[in-house]
Amino acid sequence: MPIPILQGTLDLMILRTLATLGPRHAYAIATRLEQVSDELLKVNQGTLYPALVRLEQNGWIKGTWGKTESNREAKYYAVTKAGLRAMEEETQRWRQLAGVVEKLLTEEP
Amino acid sequence: MRALLMRTIAKLRNLWLSHRADDELEREIALHVALLEEEYQRRGLSEEAARTAARRALGGIEQARQAHRDQRSILWLEQTRQDLRHACRTFARNPGFAMLAVVTLALGIGVNTTLFTAYDAVALKPLPVADAARVVRMERWFVHGWLGDMQYGFSWPEYLYCREHQGVFSDVVAASSPVRVLAVVSGSGGQTQPKTLEGQLVSGNYFRSFGVDAGLGRTFGPDEDRAPGADPVVVLSYAFWQREFHGDSHVIGKLVKLNGAPYSVIGVAPQEFTGTSLLPRVPDFWAPASMQAQLVRGQDWLHQPADYRFQILARLKPEVGLKRAEAETAALIRQFSASYVTREPTRTVTLEHTAFFGNTEDPRFEASVAALMLIVAMVLFVACANVANMLLARGAVRQREISVRLALGASRSRVIRQLITESVLLSLMGGVAGLALSVGATRLLRVAVTQMLTAQLGSDFVFSLNLNPDARVLAYALVLSVVAGVVFGLSPALQFSKPELATSIRDESTSFGHRLRRSRLRSLLIGGQVAISMLLLTCSGLLVRGLMKSQNADPGFDTRQVFLLLGDYGDNAATSLARFHRLFDRLQDVSEVASVSYGRGPMMGTWAPPMRIGEPGSAEGVEQGKTLASYASRDYLKTLGIALLRGRDFTRQETTSGAQVAIVSEAAARRFWPGEDALGKHFQLDLKFTGKLTDFEVVGIAQDVRFTTLTRIDPAHVYLAPDPAQTYPILINVGANQQAALPAVWKAVNQVDADLLPDLSLWNVETMLVHPQRTLARVMAIFAVLLALLALSLAGVGIYGVMAYVVSQRTQEIGIRMALGARASDVLRSVALRGLTPVAAGMAIGLACGAAASAVLHSTLSFAGSADFLYGVRFYDPWTFAGISCFLVVVSLLASLVPAVRAVRVDPMIALRYE
Repeated sequence: MPIPILQGTLDLMILRTLATLGPRHAYAIATRLEQVSDELLKVNQGTLYPALVRLEQNGWIKGTWGKTESNREAKYYAVTKAGLRAMEEETQRWRQLAGVVEKLLTEEP
Repeated sequence: MRALLMRTIAKLRNLWLSHRADDELEREIALHVALLEEEYQRRGLSEEAARTAARRALGGIEQARQAHRDQRSILWLEQTRQDLRHACRTFARNPGFAMLAVVTLALGIGVNTTLFTAYDAVALKPLPVADAARVVRMERWFVHGWLGDMQYGFSWPEYLYCREHQGVFSDVVAASSPVRVLAVVSGSGGQTQPKTLEGQLVSGNYFRSFGVDAGLGRTFGPDEDRAPGADPVVVLSYAFWQREFHGDSHVIGKLVKLNGAPYSVIGVAPQEFTGTSLLPRVPDFWAPASMQAQLVRGQDWLHQPADYRFQILARLKPEVGLKRAEAETAALIRQFSASYVTREPTRTVTLEHTAFFGNTEDPRFEASVAALMLIVAMVLFVACANVANMLLARGAVRQREISVRLALGASRSRVIRQLITESVLLSLMGGVAGLALSVGATRLLRVAVTQMLTAQLGSDFVFSLNLNPDARVLAYALVLSVVAGVVFGLSPALQFSKPELATSIRDESTSFGHRLRRSRLRSLLIGGQVAISMLLLTCSGLLVRGLMKSQNADPGFDTRQVFLLLGDYGDNAATSLARFHRLFDRLQDVSEVASVSYGRGPMMGTWAPPMRIGEPGSAEGVEQGKTLASYASRDYLKTLGIALLRGRDFTRQETTSGAQVAIVSEAAARRFWPGEDALGKHFQLDLKFTGKLTDFEVVGIAQDVRFTTLTRIDPAHVYLAPDPAQTYPILINVGANQQAALPAVWKAVNQVDADLLPDLSLWNVETMLVHPQRTLARVMAIFAVLLALLALSLAGVGIYGVMAYVVSQRTQEIGIRMALGARASDVLRSVALRGLTPVAAGMAIGLACGAAASAVLHSTLSFAGSADFLYGVRFYDPWTFAGISCFLVVVSLLASLVPAVRAVRVDPMIALRYE
């Protein structure tokens, strides 16, 4: 059973994916997220593409048209400098949030 | 923060590059599908199965596309754009409807904008001077409460005192009331016939303070108003320069002869400077106030503290507020007026923001503007109701489209928004057309008014009002359009978007019950339209009846042969009286004229002093507005051709000594002494509104005439022997031989007092005083008829449209009835009756309102001096009311029968298969 993506986390996951793997197209990002999560995350196109638009409009990623190995046209997204900065901040925030949640969950009653 | 900014910019860009973003997304999704397919094939699925699986895995592509669209641009803007595009497509598919709606609205908005343009020009537009917002005009308030343009009059000594002692203004400027001079202008035409020009005497700082630079040459220097008679220079107005000198730039330095003395032209005012006069006329020239004695002979305006000839305009210092300046000015004028004695003490002084007309804050002016605005707003309402009705009638077509949209998941608010967008777009188009219409109409109006006034005044008249639309007019038209769009669009939008899917997706015409509620709204709109048309028609009907009467209303005395000689004899009481009597005595000897006398001019306004009937002594029972009064010399009635029915005329001795005797009109005699002989009776008048009564004895009874206004026979009129301390218009009856008499009159004036010539004007009572009243009646009637016809034709179109729709909805039912053997006449009657119910209700309401308006109009007639624009038409004039009702019934019958007849003619078989 796939788990739903928590609001606001998809942006961070996309940024992180692109930062580690380098420029990737949308399909590759989706596949990567599924692999990493052991098929637990199902990335819906209805959320992936709007997220990419949002990130691109924020100036955090930049899309350029290129060719895949199989010579298909694809739009490759790469993280920009502003994107890296934003990722740092988002990561920080996520860690804090996750820490708080974790702490609450592990607290002895 | 930066991210947000970048995103907004990107979104805005996407508004225009939407198709490119769509295209890119398309390509990305294509790749996505292809790669998924490959993946599935690798896992062992067949090519066919892989494709299906890939598509399924991807989820709804359309939804993804929409989410993408929503994300990448500003949602509401994008939606509005869609709505607009959709609206344009809808209109393009149905251009007839769109055209009709736009024309309808254009008429409504055009009429409203035209009126507002006029109001704007008169009361809101600032004077054509620099930083007009800081320029104020002084207005004095008399203890006796007199209102009018004289409130803007100040004397030159007052002006000087204010200018010297004030600390709140950066500049104080004076400009006189118009002065008329006889001029010889040797323009390029080279003609030397003297003409009468109108100019203004101004303080030397006039142009400088207003920040008005000469269009040509220079303006006055600040010292050019100091030494009396020392500065024979003039600045010409642009219009005058164009007219007389044909724009010749060599005019500077030329001499013009004003009242016989040469003045050199030092400059020409710029085209946009049309003067600061309270009258809507551009002066021909401006001259320094120091030249007053030369330009206005025999008078001294510069030294009399109570000779209110100048208006004072002042520019507030930047840091000074209006209140403080007002307090200081009032104190200064009060201080100054303590130094002299006047009959008309000033209570206080206020400062008024400058506009072309004075007294625009007068409640009477505002009330009449509001009344006019209300009338034209009603026309716009009729137009709106019409378009709303058209929208409702189109509901059958739209309903299915809208139901489908609702069923597919559009929210109700979204649908309403789209419908409102459509109607606002319609009304904006109507607004643009209406604005164009109003610009045209205003131009026409300006030409008409200028021509009328030129003909009336008999001289070159340049209208100073700037009627070009400004930002205020544009904003007004815009607001009006948007409001109109929402007003007529809202109720149909609410109706259509009611989520009653099941009934409306089915063909609407089968659901009989569903239709009822909407038809009630339609009936309401029709009723309202008819009521307003009825009201406007009634008013215009009454005015037209008045017009018919006005054209042959007989004043009852001789107007064609009587001329009024009006003169300004100067303000020194003794010399002016001597000049007046010298002239009058000389004119009596002119053998070419039939009769000469003096007194109050007919048709020249009202004078209705408070009156008390009975023997003198008591102060009880004084009433306002009971009677009209006039001063009249011996032979006055003879000159005018008013018959003396009983008693005698004043004697020569009574005329010159100010005897307390009076001749009363027949109506006055009947009214004040019913059943008695009025001769020898006494009454008292409060001549100067001071509470002091003067007793008069009745010595004669004169025939009733329309003396004060052509609109009605004087309800009561008393002619009093003249006050010997005053000068009056001289009445000259030229008899049959006008050609010989007028030159003889001018010759006599020239002999006895040539200096008077520029200050005299000769008015023919018929052409100058009676004719304008007939013209006014005609103009008012035409205006009212135009408005009423506009409202009526709009209402007619509305009734026709709705009836046509209702009947078309009932085609099936009518077909069944006809097939079952109903007679065509019965069907027609039932259809027509149903259509006429709201019409009848609307007519009743309209009639009631019309009667109320008419009653209000008539209630003003209790004052003896008020004009009766209906020329004695009774307010329940049966002809008007019955005629208008018949007319309206015929129009609405036609509008409802035409579609009904068409429906009856339809072959029943076709009607039955209509489903």
